[in-house]
Amino acid sequence: MIVFPTTLEEAQASKGTIRAGGTELAERRRLPGLGGDLVDLRDTAGLDELRFAADGTLRIGAGHRIANVGSNAEIRAVYPGFAEAVGGLATPQIRAVATMAGNLLQRTRCWYFRAPETGDRCFKRGGNMCSARAGDHLYHACFDLGSCVSVHPSSIGMAMLAYDGLVDVAPGGLRSVSDLLGDGTNASADNALKPGELVTALVLPPPQAGEHSAYFRAISRARSEWPLVEVLVRLVVVDGVIRDAAIAMGGVAPVPLRASVSEAKLLGKAPDAAAFAAAAQAATVGSAPLPMTGYKLELVVGSVLEALERAAERDPVVLPAPVNKLPRTSQETR
Amino acid sequence: MKSTRRGFLRGTVVGATALSTTSCSESLHTEKSTAPQGPPAGEDRVRVDTAVNGQDTTLEVGPDDSALHAVREQLDLTGCKHGCGHGACGACTMQLDGTPVATCLLPATSLHGRKVTTVEGIATGGTLASVQRAFMAEDGLQCGYCTPGFIVESEAFVRRWRAEHGAKEPDRETVAEALSGHLCRCAAYEGIYRAVQGACAGRFDHGPAKAERHDAREKVTGAAKYTVDVKLPGMLHARALHSPHGHAAIKSIDWTAALAIPGVRGIVDLMQGRTSIRHAGQEIVALAAVDETIAAQAVAAVKIEYDVKTPALSIPEARAEGAPAVYPRRKGRKSAPNASEGPLLPEAWDGNVRGPLKFLSKSKGKAVRKLDDARDSGTAVEGTWTTAAQCHTTLEPHAAVAHWPTEDSLVVHLSTQAVRACAEDLAERFGLRHDAVTVLSNYIGAGFGGKGKLESEAIIATELARVCGAPVRYVLERREELMIGGYRPGTQLDLAAAVDDDGELAVVAKSYSNSGVAVGHTVTPLWRMLYPGAPKRLEDIDVVTHTPPGKPFRGPGGPQAYWALEQAVDELAHARGEDPLAMRHRWDPNPARQPLYKWAEGIDAWRNRAKPGADKGRFRRGVGLAFGTWFVFCSPKTRVQVETGPDGIVVSTACQDIGNGTRTVLANAVAEQLGVAASDVTVKVGDSRFVPGPTSAGSRTVSSLVPACVVACDALKEELFDDAKDRLSLRGAVATTRGVEHEGGIVPWSKLAETSPPLSVVGRRPKDKGGYFLPPVGGVAFEKYTSASMQIVEIEVDTRLGKTRAVQTWGGFGVGKLVSPQLARSQAAGGILQAISYTLYEERRLAPGRGYLLTAGLEDYRLMGMGDVPQMHIHFHEEGYENIPQRSAGLGEIVTLAPPAAIGNAMFNAVGWRPKDLPLRPDHVLKGIRG
Repeated sequence: MIVFPTTLEEAQASKGTIRAGGTELAERRRLPGLGGDLVDLRDTAGLDELRFAADGTLRIGAGHRIANVGSNAEIRAVYPGFAEAVGGLATPQIRAVATMAGNLLQRTRCWYFRAPETGDRCFKRGGNMCSARAGDHLYHACFDLGSCVSVHPSSIGMAMLAYDGLVDVAPGGLRSVSDLLGDGTNASADNALKPGELVTALVLPPPQAGEHSAYFRAISRARSEWPLVEVLVRLVVVDGVIRDAAIAMGGVAPVPLRASVSEAKLLGKAPDAAAFAAAAQAATVGSAPLPMTGYKLELVVGSVLEALERAAERDPVVLPAPVNKLPRTSQETR
Repeated sequence: MKSTRRGFLRGTVVGATALSTTSCSESLHTEKSTAPQGPPAGEDRVRVDTAVNGQDTTLEVGPDDSALHAVREQLDLTGCKHGCGHGACGACTMQLDGTPVATCLLPATSLHGRKVTTVEGIATGGTLASVQRAFMAEDGLQCGYCTPGFIVESEAFVRRWRAEHGAKEPDRETVAEALSGHLCRCAAYEGIYRAVQGACAGRFDHGPAKAERHDAREKVTGAAKYTVDVKLPGMLHARALHSPHGHAAIKSIDWTAALAIPGVRGIVDLMQGRTSIRHAGQEIVALAAVDETIAAQAVAAVKIEYDVKTPALSIPEARAEGAPAVYPRRKGRKSAPNASEGPLLPEAWDGNVRGPLKFLSKSKGKAVRKLDDARDSGTAVEGTWTTAAQCHTTLEPHAAVAHWPTEDSLVVHLSTQAVRACAEDLAERFGLRHDAVTVLSNYIGAGFGGKGKLESEAIIATELARVCGAPVRYVLERREELMIGGYRPGTQLDLAAAVDDDGELAVVAKSYSNSGVAVGHTVTPLWRMLYPGAPKRLEDIDVVTHTPPGKPFRGPGGPQAYWALEQAVDELAHARGEDPLAMRHRWDPNPARQPLYKWAEGIDAWRNRAKPGADKGRFRRGVGLAFGTWFVFCSPKTRVQVETGPDGIVVSTACQDIGNGTRTVLANAVAEQLGVAASDVTVKVGDSRFVPGPTSAGSRTVSSLVPACVVACDALKEELFDDAKDRLSLRGAVATTRGVEHEGGIVPWSKLAETSPPLSVVGRRPKDKGGYFLPPVGGVAFEKYTSASMQIVEIEVDTRLGKTRAVQTWGGFGVGKLVSPQLARSQAAGGILQAISYTLYEERRLAPGRGYLLTAGLEDYRLMGMGDVPQMHIHFHEEGYENIPQRSAGLGEIVTLAPPAAIGNAMFNAVGWRPKDLPLRPDHVLKGIRG
């Protein structure tokens, strides 16, 4: 059974798995026991807005295609780190059809979760164990938060965490991305969305005046690879002193994490090599690597350092004049 | 379990272990469905109005159908291919309203109201797009399977680029970014860069489409039909149930529920009363149904009870005290598949260990004494090197479509490197006359050694086609392909080497190969062949494990052998303070390599390399060098037929073009002999009914086919000459290379071919002058030469993040005469890049304690992409090999042997740490450079 609701209300009232771009779901539904009815948002209106509010807040419709966000000139100008994270994930042919909320809500890429042989034992598939913990977890968590040791797959979630991003949920309204993704201790879910709840938009607060941001992904090849570790850094430097810092990390835990100790260490310091090195080292505070993921701590340190350096080298963001722009709709309006 | 004993099969079928013996005859349990055979019960169908390649069309699709599936199946547009099924390889790329998208993951329902362009729609009104002409001219393709995806993506990129930048050439990074969603397993990336950059720059806007590669046009337009594209009336779809366990005994199989599902037509038990599961992925039963979805549902409905046991998955696990035995009984060992291309030699077994095979040693005692002396004086270099399993993972998976036109004749479309051998083996297995079996393989989405023999996909499709009385298609999914499609065996290499006071080398080495349930993988021949004068004590040992059978993979044993030996030699040179090239030169009698020394010495990056570990920056560059040596083989029984007649000049043989360029070398050889354009020669391969041609393996296609082709052309010229003399009453006629000269001028061969009555000649591959090194074994002769390579690689190591990238490579090869220089370069580049991919990225990982596959897709099994390609310099020395007719030695394998060791040596040069374990993942490198 598949339905194509035309309104949000209709979509919420329909029973079944929500499908937007479908790129991750297609693969997942091939696994035994993960089929069922579909609610396809193809014809659902109201999910593809892209709009800066008067105060500079950016609102991106849940159904907006990832490619259009990553390549959007205004977003790149104001949220360069965010645009880099969004523009570098997956591959161009996936970004062209996959949606923003779909990326946030995709399920883990853990190779045990995806294995037809034993995937149904996995916490995240309704089972009661984590095969990766005692098995091969080379690409898994180095911040062990409990039972499941997979890493969260959403680069957009990681990026939003760095911007204190929000999601608009129907019903219920705005909630923080960290509320949506949870704290990583619930091994059975990749997000805290309940049946009947639908993400309708991603909301980014305006960047701070003069902020620098950069995204970095540690991978083994040049491109098109799930991050071993990914980091987004935002720095606000005033008169040669770091006044604010936000650092988010992905590929390290069942949820994206903020490196709050590193952030604190940067405040009041000059943006120099010593401050960056100390902050990068502090990014592993609270880590608990698995037997095979100790190397990721070094990648965390290296990636945070890399992102800090790149952010600092970059020109600060120039905020557009706060005018209430006309709502903008993507050319891709399916 | 209800079953009838039906179907008769020679040989055994136990998953991939099926093909190891041909001596015994056993019957298979099969059952044909007696369930009502109406259309499958109605799942909801969705109407999709779309426009494909400019034509409005309506599709009826299922909710979970992919756009790729709908377009391929309902519109018969098979150009865009199913590659990985995960959106990682890009073979399925189509344009949606002008934007490239991955259609294997795109729901077919989302095509509603959209405009779709497939590769078939890229050419407009019969005129190729500039990007298609560019790929043809620059040879941006080999097997062609990924090509449609690259073309569709590149066309959109070039269009966008030209709109924004005009006819300006983009840099490589820009192209790499645009094509970052595509993988080419043949690694035709160099040509792809040139093609896309050239098309952007406007170099292919005008003019006719030209290509050296004979079948390039079919590949860039999507017209080339691969086995996966074959569709026959009433065709059923097969799926197999694969063991989820690495080691188990089957207690019971019950397929009643599966067979009762409407649309399921028949099932075959592949265990034949056996109960042992020896590896995960082992095929247990296979069934056929009216579509793939029902077949998958039916497989899920087969109930199997297992007695699950602990598997031994790795060399240490299998060698441990009390390890679970893979072959607990002598009888089972005889069924162990052969991981090599040659015959298995009888060897002793001890538990999971088979061997050692020692006969390739030379002056063993002397070697051991010299090593003992060197150990005493502290000058020995020794260590344990390891290599990971490398999956062939050809983008076209193993695929077969079988049908029985009559009860005693069989036609199998098969993605294979061996149409003729497979036809013969099918005839043997199914008790048919040889001329009653036809194997067809018009286009093959690459092989690399993994499709060299008759394997289970052909047998399963054939058996089910017989049971069901309908054509049956069986295609492995990517997960299955990565599991049982074949892999280069992992090895553990214990090697010690020393140089004595006279500067002479001695080697003592043992290779342990993990070919899973298979045996016979060898490394010692490669150790023996390089520096053949040195005393060596060499042992090859098989360690069987509960993992799928390894198969020959491009240069079997070579990359592993040189990974250890050439690093040890490099280390010896450093320890002695001797120039590594000069030291090697002293030991190297191979005439094919002699001219390469001067070439290597002329390379600035090599000559001016820094001292090991001299670079102290974050990004450290290093340059390394290594040698490779390979056999020169031919198939002495090769025949090539050349005909003239109403279809022009036709050359044919029961060989196949796996992307190596078989069609091109045949066309070029005929063109050269008869003075015609290669494009005017029709080449027919990929059909077992043609005159016998070689298996496309062992670097022997060119060395076998071209001499036979030249003989055929000579015979044809004789016939043409005789005909011309009589028919045209030529006076003073003399045959020359250009044609028939006579008193009134010259009639070119091409003209004579056009005007003569139809002629047909067959050429046989002449023997080498002075005969072969060994009498031919299994239709393959070792020629009295070895080929030679020198590989230099410059790498850059990011010491902060452990990432290693190849920056630049220089490959020098002594392989005799090139029949097609452009394709030779493509093949060399592909072999080098595949080896770099093996060195830096590729690694099959199995679930510890279980044995099933974790790296089950092309996201986790990492292949080199566009952005990982270094600058490449390729040098051929074309002299030598005088005793081989036409002097071509073959190059498919020699090119891929030395790069891993060269990178190992470059790593030492860059950071002062010598890597021992492949691949060079960031975590390995970080650990290595931190000490």
